[in-house]
Amino acid sequence: MSSMVRKGLGYLSLALMFVAIFMVFDWVPTEAEQGIAQRIFYFHVPCAWVAFAAFGIVALAGILYLWLGERMWDDLGYAAAEIGMVFCTLVLLTGSLWAKPIWGVWWTWDSRLTTTFILWLMYGGYLLLRSSADDSPQVARFAAVVGIVAALDVPVVIVSVRLWRTIHPAVLITKTGEHGLEDPRMVVALLVSLAAFTIFFVWLLTLRFAQLRARTRLHRMGQEIALAEMRAGDR
Amino acid sequence: MAAPVVETHELGKTYGQHHVLRDLDLRLLPGRAIFIVGANGAGKSTLLRILAGLSAPTAGRALIFGLDSRRLGPRYRRRIGMLAHQSYLYPNLTARENLEFCAELYAISDPRGSAARWLERVGLERFAERRVRALSRGMEQRLAAARAMIADPGLLLLDEPFASLDSEAVQIIMSLIREAVARGASLVASAHVVPEVQDLEFEVFDLARATLTRRPPTRDSADAGRIARLRSLLGR
Amino acid sequence: MAAFAAILRKDLRLELRSGESTVALLAISLLILVVMVFALDASRARGAESAAGALWVALVFSGMLGATRALLAERDNNCIRGLLLSPIEPSTLYAAKLAAAFIFMAIAEIGSVILMVLFFNLNFDITLIRLAPILALGTLGFAALATLLAAISNRTRMGDLLLPILAVPIFVPALIAGVKASASALGGTPESAIAEWLKILIAFDVLFVTAGYLLFEYVVRED
Repeated sequence: MSSMVRKGLGYLSLALMFVAIFMVFDWVPTEAEQGIAQRIFYFHVPCAWVAFAAFGIVALAGILYLWLGERMWDDLGYAAAEIGMVFCTLVLLTGSLWAKPIWGVWWTWDSRLTTTFILWLMYGGYLLLRSSADDSPQVARFAAVVGIVAALDVPVVIVSVRLWRTIHPAVLITKTGEHGLEDPRMVVALLVSLAAFTIFFVWLLTLRFAQLRARTRLHRMGQEIALAEMRAGDR
Repeated sequence: MAAPVVETHELGKTYGQHHVLRDLDLRLLPGRAIFIVGANGAGKSTLLRILAGLSAPTAGRALIFGLDSRRLGPRYRRRIGMLAHQSYLYPNLTARENLEFCAELYAISDPRGSAARWLERVGLERFAERRVRALSRGMEQRLAAARAMIADPGLLLLDEPFASLDSEAVQIIMSLIREAVARGASLVASAHVVPEVQDLEFEVFDLARATLTRRPPTRDSADAGRIARLRSLLGR
Repeated sequence: MAAFAAILRKDLRLELRSGESTVALLAISLLILVVMVFALDASRARGAESAAGALWVALVFSGMLGATRALLAERDNNCIRGLLLSPIEPSTLYAAKLAAAFIFMAIAEIGSVILMVLFFNLNFDITLIRLAPILALGTLGFAALATLLAAISNRTRMGDLLLPILAVPIFVPALIAGVKASASALGGTPESAIAEWLKILIAFDVLFVTAGYLLFEYVVRED
């Protein structure tokens, strides 16, 4: 992707982010039951969406890497995993901040929080694997396999965790978000926020991806120079 | 002319920034033998691993039986016998069990009989029930040679087959190699120095600076090998 | 199929000869159950639920050992390379290693179940038979996952330390299902309550046995 497009994405996400912040703090009506705390919802949900999307990209890049063997797909998977980890952490933090005033606890094994937490553990394992082995085709294959296996697991996690919580009926009230948003302005604010985060994510992803690509290219150039030197030494 | 068993085109292998192999062109016809001579760490093992289909080249390609080395299916892998410094034998299985297991992997019709025959050929019939961990290095390597050849491979890949072996083991393995080549198998072997081999015609390639150069066949080359071998024996 | 049987037979023969893996697995299971008894204070905790929980903790951690051990047999003399050279498919190797890990784990679990009944003051009765399919499914799922991931972890710098970090989060759904189903089975809940959990276990097994079978070739391959 050209750097112009990337720059454009950056500015666009910056602008949208300001709009979203304005909407969340000033424009959207306060939710009746939860009060001011509910406003974190407009950041919490987009973060979760981005974390899950990043996870999907990791798995898809893994499949493409194993199938085509192109280094590019490994770079994409790595970039997505790193950014996904950041957003996944943000989901847990915002969720925790939200839970304290509403449910009175920092953490609860609510089905969505639990699913996100498991996702976070899987990302953690994936990144630890990447850092615990040298940069080689072997690590790329390992990471691809772990990315695929983890993504396969996500639907099973969702189903099992939901079943786990419903069989033990939740004592706590469910999030307002589940009942639908009562005011249309809330929907608009959420959509704007989602757009802002998505573009922000795509921008970060292209940035990191370009960086990893450059690293790969640099590496290849180093190889070519070494090869040329050896060939020159033949004569 | 028969199709080559091994054919490489501008083969290269890189680990990180380090070129282990580069610009390697090699052709080996059926029933022919070559020795690859190079110092430790010159890349001999890497080359053999690529030819065995274990390792993928990072540049160029290797054709084994006319097939890309990265896509050797079971049918082709069956026709490759590899003998390396590591014996691929289970220390806690007996000599006989190891060969029987191998015969089963290679889907040989009578694993028991064939294991017994091969134990005899490498002179280990008396040690059939002894665990591999209790065998001497020479005996273990003889058994490993039997393992490599149990399925009558058409391509033999031997990585330093005679390194640190007693003369009896060298003799036995050498005669197995001669038989295999006489039968029409092709051979790629690696060594520190040109080995002293009688009754086996072979070409010599030097592996240095990550690439192969063919040594012009001279009468002296065998002598040179012999002298070098004596030197290394005397520790000079 | 013949190659699968040959590899499995070879692994079992090696195990019969040394007994290392099963003894180690049994020892780990025993220790975990003891730790759980002290951690949970078995006298006050409700029998069935604590027992089920302890049993599955033992399963997970002994399973990690089982999968590692099944692959470890190929480390001596670089035997794994001998297998990669031979005319067998990597998926056959996976199946054989999965079967070996399953058998090691199953033996350890029989021991764990007996100890669990003793430690948590349960009875040797029909409920234990209801436990069997649940444990079998959970063991298959864990062995499938751990065999694939152990092949990865034992070739990284972190080594086998990485295995739990990779395997446990992915195993969570099967763990939830297994613990819940086991607790119900031991507590005498009707069969229908267990069915939902069994479905999750089956789905997990199908998914990860297939994934392992297809992906194993990419993790054992050399560079």
